[in-house]
Amino acid sequence: MGWLRLAFVLYVALTIIYFVTSLYSRSVRQEKLEKAWDTDPTREGAPEGERAAFVDAGMQAYDKGLKKRLLWLIYILPTIGFLTTIYFVNWH
Amino acid sequence: MWTKIKWGLRILAVLIAGLFLHYTLPQRDVVQIINTYNKNTPIGGNWMFYSIEDTGTGVETSATIRDIRFIDAVYADGTSVMVYRNEDTGWFWPPYFKWDSSTLQAQAQNLKSDKAAPKWVAITHYGWRLAIFSAFPNAVSVTPVDGPDVRLIPWVNILLLSFLAFAIFMVRKMWLQFRERMVDPALADVGEGFDAVGNRVETVRKEARGFVGRVGAWLNTWRAKK
Repeated sequence: MGWLRLAFVLYVALTIIYFVTSLYSRSVRQEKLEKAWDTDPTREGAPEGERAAFVDAGMQAYDKGLKKRLLWLIYILPTIGFLTTIYFVNWH
Repeated sequence: MWTKIKWGLRILAVLIAGLFLHYTLPQRDVVQIINTYNKNTPIGGNWMFYSIEDTGTGVETSATIRDIRFIDAVYADGTSVMVYRNEDTGWFWPPYFKWDSSTLQAQAQNLKSDKAAPKWVAITHYGWRLAIFSAFPNAVSVTPVDGPDVRLIPWVNILLLSFLAFAIFMVRKMWLQFRERMVDPALADVGEGFDAVGNRVETVRKEARGFVGRVGAWLNTWRAKK
């Protein structure tokens, strides 16, 4: 039953890492969008509502984008790492 | 005074982390195997240098004695020796997932040689030989090599340590982002709030220095403003 305990601990830890990383990634993207708006001289003096809409649109694009899906690697890479370790230690 | 204590703790933390990695990460010795055997080994206070009990190898012949496989080896200089234990690691720590100690023992036996016709092997292992605790490094694999001067590149360690460096770098970046986006704006709010009642921004800024101070100041922003 050792492997069940390990899998449980591993995937709980990876879930925490996944959530923290996805919060971070969203935050970076949002900051980037805000800065893109704020440094654009053609948008100077535009109403606050337009800025919020611009950021929202950018975040919706992010939610559908590749970068967000790449976060699944947080689960995939350690799993591959564990399986290769098991293979190379015992059958190689 | 505080700076010295802080630096002392930091150096201690780095030292402990370094020793931990040195114990856990795989290392390779180029040696000649001179003997393989089993030995009833008493395990007591030094249990942390052996596999956890439920791994299946190393039969517990009693509550405190385990039958463990050993490999004796001699280095290229012909005089310094090393004793490896050969135990399964089980499912938890260190995460080598080694279940093939019987096979490994057979391989080691097969590569055994005498001084007249030495066969050189690289023994991958983790752990330390600490005579005072009867601790032995655990052999993970045995591979024949061309000679005693062979150059081995530690790819696994390069990979793991770069990954670790990357992880530390990312944690730092995440913390800085959290501080920039969550803590600092909250602190600015606190500052404005205090400005209204009296200029106490400096006090808040002072409190907000350092890790604990910043988190504390951020938590304070959740309290009701009087």
